[in-house]
Amino acid sequence: MLKKHPIITFIFFGFILFLISNRLDELRVYQGATVAVYAIGIASLILLIGYSGQVSLGHGAFLAIGGFAAALARIHFDAPIWLTFVVAVLAAAIGGALLGLAAARLSGPYLAGTTLALAIGLPSIANQFSIFGGEQGISFDIGLPPASLGEDFTQYKWFFWISWTVALITLYWLRNILNSRYGRGWRAVRSNDVAAELAGIHVGRNKVLAFTISAGLAGLAGALLAMTISLASPGVFPLALSFSLATGAVLSGVTTLGGIMIGSVTLVAIPEIALAIANRYGSETITTNLPGLLVSALLILTVLFVPNGPVEQMHAKRAKRGHSSHSPVEISVRVGSKTWSTKK
Amino acid sequence: MNQFLDMVLIGISAASIYSLMAISMVLVWRSTRVVNFAQAGMALLSAYIGYELVARVGNFWIALPLAMILGAAFSAFIEFVLMRTLQKHSSQGAIAAIAPIIATLGLLGLIRATIGFIWGHADVQIEPPLSKVGFTFGDTTIVMSPMGLFVVLFVIALMIIVSIVFQKTNIGLALRASAHAPEIAQLAGIRVSGIRTLGWAIAGAAGAAAGILQTVNGTGALSPESLEFSLLLVFGFIAAVIGGLESLPGAVLGALILGLVLAAVQIYISGALVFIVAFLLLLLVLILRPQGFLGSKAGRRA
Amino acid sequence: MIRINRRKLITTSAVLAIAALTVATVPAQALNPQMADPGITASTIKLGVTSPLTGIASPGYNKIPGAMKAYFDYVNTNGGVNGRKITLVSKDDQYIPTTAVAKANELILRDKVFALVGTLGTASTKALTASTQLSKRGIPSLFVNTGWSGFADKKAYPTTFSILPSYQMEAKIMAKYVKETYAGKKIAIIYQDDDFGRDALAGFKTAGLTFDTYIPYASGSQALPATGAGWISKLKTAGAEVTVLFGVTSASTAALANAYGAGFKTQWVLGSVGGDATTIAATNKAYVPLLFGAKGFSFAPAPTDTTDEYIKLFQSIYATAQPTQTFDNNVVAGMSNAFLAVQALKAAGANLTRAGLIKAIETKGSTFASPFLTPLGYSSTSHVGATGYWVGTYGPTGALTPDGGKYTVYTTDSGTGPVVLSTYTRPAMPAKGL
Repeated sequence: MLKKHPIITFIFFGFILFLISNRLDELRVYQGATVAVYAIGIASLILLIGYSGQVSLGHGAFLAIGGFAAALARIHFDAPIWLTFVVAVLAAAIGGALLGLAAARLSGPYLAGTTLALAIGLPSIANQFSIFGGEQGISFDIGLPPASLGEDFTQYKWFFWISWTVALITLYWLRNILNSRYGRGWRAVRSNDVAAELAGIHVGRNKVLAFTISAGLAGLAGALLAMTISLASPGVFPLALSFSLATGAVLSGVTTLGGIMIGSVTLVAIPEIALAIANRYGSETITTNLPGLLVSALLILTVLFVPNGPVEQMHAKRAKRGHSSHSPVEISVRVGSKTWSTKK
Repeated sequence: MNQFLDMVLIGISAASIYSLMAISMVLVWRSTRVVNFAQAGMALLSAYIGYELVARVGNFWIALPLAMILGAAFSAFIEFVLMRTLQKHSSQGAIAAIAPIIATLGLLGLIRATIGFIWGHADVQIEPPLSKVGFTFGDTTIVMSPMGLFVVLFVIALMIIVSIVFQKTNIGLALRASAHAPEIAQLAGIRVSGIRTLGWAIAGAAGAAAGILQTVNGTGALSPESLEFSLLLVFGFIAAVIGGLESLPGAVLGALILGLVLAAVQIYISGALVFIVAFLLLLLVLILRPQGFLGSKAGRRA
Repeated sequence: MIRINRRKLITTSAVLAIAALTVATVPAQALNPQMADPGITASTIKLGVTSPLTGIASPGYNKIPGAMKAYFDYVNTNGGVNGRKITLVSKDDQYIPTTAVAKANELILRDKVFALVGTLGTASTKALTASTQLSKRGIPSLFVNTGWSGFADKKAYPTTFSILPSYQMEAKIMAKYVKETYAGKKIAIIYQDDDFGRDALAGFKTAGLTFDTYIPYASGSQALPATGAGWISKLKTAGAEVTVLFGVTSASTAALANAYGAGFKTQWVLGSVGGDATTIAATNKAYVPLLFGAKGFSFAPAPTDTTDEYIKLFQSIYATAQPTQTFDNNVVAGMSNAFLAVQALKAAGANLTRAGLIKAIETKGSTFASPFLTPLGYSSTSHVGATGYWVGTYGPTGALTPDGGKYTVYTTDSGTGPVVLSTYTRPAMPAKGL
């Protein structure tokens, strides 16, 4: 259904969410907004890692850029909400382009380590300029929901609606991009950059573009996150956030957007599950350590046994049975007696 | 002049700790072409094991080698269980590049949680076996204490031993061959998978030493969230990259450069810029000389 | 191929439709106007606190909720407040703002507490106050554990009450002390290079104190091996005779340890945040003696002062409630917090409402009994708590005792007001400390 009528699917999903938001209690509504934030963040990593083959362990830095940019736009220019998000995307995208340019020749562990260093160093950079508010950060207040929605319309429902509207639009747009020639170009470069170059794809530009878009998306997620916390501070974007997003991306399956809800919901659900277990046993140690344990264990198991993610695994099974609707990208180039091919 | 001497000594002290971590990472890289981001976690676990040993045995000088052996064993175990399964299942597709990285990240989280379960979150202490008061010449005290000196000498000794093993012994040859050309090495009769485990084991020993010495040379306190270890990981990585991930002496040289530069920045400019300078140094090296100072151009492949 | 898709389409739509209908039959949870405030019954009051019980900021601070509970239990065994017993729900936010918001949401929406008390950390408190809309919901946030002066602003935070003096107040008082006691000496300062430290610098500037050497450090860098040594090297070169330390405890530990290692002697003057001996001891007991001779600041009676009636009472309560824990300034802080909360709840009367509680503090807060040695500044225009500090010296066990044997308290404001000697005499403790 998704393939044939994507717009209808997205709208239908949005309608379901609208219904749900009216029936859930506030805490769930708030958590639902967080799921949307994670969905966008994970999507940005799927683009970067799964499609473009570049790795980033510090994507939290781009969320931070987006969050701070949005907050500053609001405080200093009284920008309307939609404009703060645009500013967040642009600021983070610029950051992504810069890092992409600097890192275009890096790959694998070098890139991973550099992005990690960035994530650790960014808060310290921010602290140099008092405009970022230091440890306390700066507030990000998007205001109350419009009066036309009624007295009982809570702030958290407003967050839910905004983040999910943005998330659905973003995911729809991203899906189109990934299925376009850009997406194919990225997958080609990821499989074999030499073959791709020979086929006429400008590898450097291709990689930087991926980084830029990925960073822009992350910035959007960061702005939404800052919105739900009403604050942009270094503590809102810790190193753990970068790791969580990477975890969520792997849980969802980095090669496709299809499983994205799995990762996002899991990230929000795990602390809840851990809390429920801990309450049953009533131990302080369990409450603190269990969430981390569960997430890490889940991550390792996924990477070991379902490395390409559950959705891809399903496709692979179906392909084996002959029902393949998923054609891999293949480029073969022959020069004289040598052949370069992306076919694996 | 006095300040300059201080800066040099401080830089060397810091460098000695960074280099242990860097050596560990280079070892893993050279034997299995993986950057082990769980190195910090394993060093942390080894440090806790060291704490237990010191508490039970009562003697640091026995506890240190014991902890290194246990660290080596644990590291080998991880390679055997985690990395080999990884190779079997995820050597294809997009995930191949980052699967080891993600797996080691998961390992880090697992180790932290386990440590929290077993030892709790309150700080535990390891008592330094040597004095941390600086040597005194006349009425000036320099910024190098017996403890600091030991760490420096330890690193030099370790580097010499490991280099000899790698360059001059058959095992070392096997290690290098298995990393660069595994198929050929296998044809030559080398049990590549076993050799890789050995590489991780040696790295584990170095990491254990890094964890314990870092703790003892610092505040002596350990906790699962010890910030020092995450920083240590990043700085060890930066040091390894500066010197060249391919080269063991490079790891030490990179650590020395990093340590001295950061010490200079701290003393002559401002302590607030430490992270920024480290990051910029990393970027600079990656852009201008990506194979590191002592790496050869052909060697760097990632 | 098409058959499969259509079947999938029908199945998916059916599943989703059924799910939607099921969910839709669950009754809507509208925000009905409450007849009574949540968290109160005829016999109980539920309060909530979120603080770092684990994580990097936890040593020392993680004793505060336990200390609060100890006092609340004592009050409960003595009849409670106007016939109601107090329950405290404590959550761990690990000093991370996003977690603090999530925990505050749980306290308000799931546990349905009557009020928050003693939340810790500027960023965390800022985040949870804004995100959970405490002011719109009218939920009181009593006696937040942070020195950020912004929380005292009633217009911005109408339901929040601070309790600690602000960092600017502290800096101004430190400045007066340093200027008078160490006139003519070479003075240096090590400070954390963010809002926390720069707040203090602003205070020093207002009070007219300039330093010969400024040593900022990036927050987090104090954990690196070379950082502390670098500070000492700079201090040595500058010949600093007096060094002010306005940073977190891990920075104080790094400074003291490296000074010892380098054989460098200076007169240390520690800010209250970084001067917590318990936190230092938690890091390494060997460092506590290094505090000996350093100057420190506090506004509560010293935990070792057994001549003080509040300390005596708190010690006996804590000894029964938590016999394995040491009684220190964090315990005093927690129990004082709880004590003030109980005074406020009593003043709000038997007909307890959130709005009533807030009004009670605003109108009668300045006359509440309190263990502090400075007057409380609560009024209808100000939500400021303690307003001053006394100077003391650390002993070899890390205990801070007042200079001159008695508490000489100075008070000031967060603005440009002068630092004056306080004439406040603390009223006697109510009977049995209730």
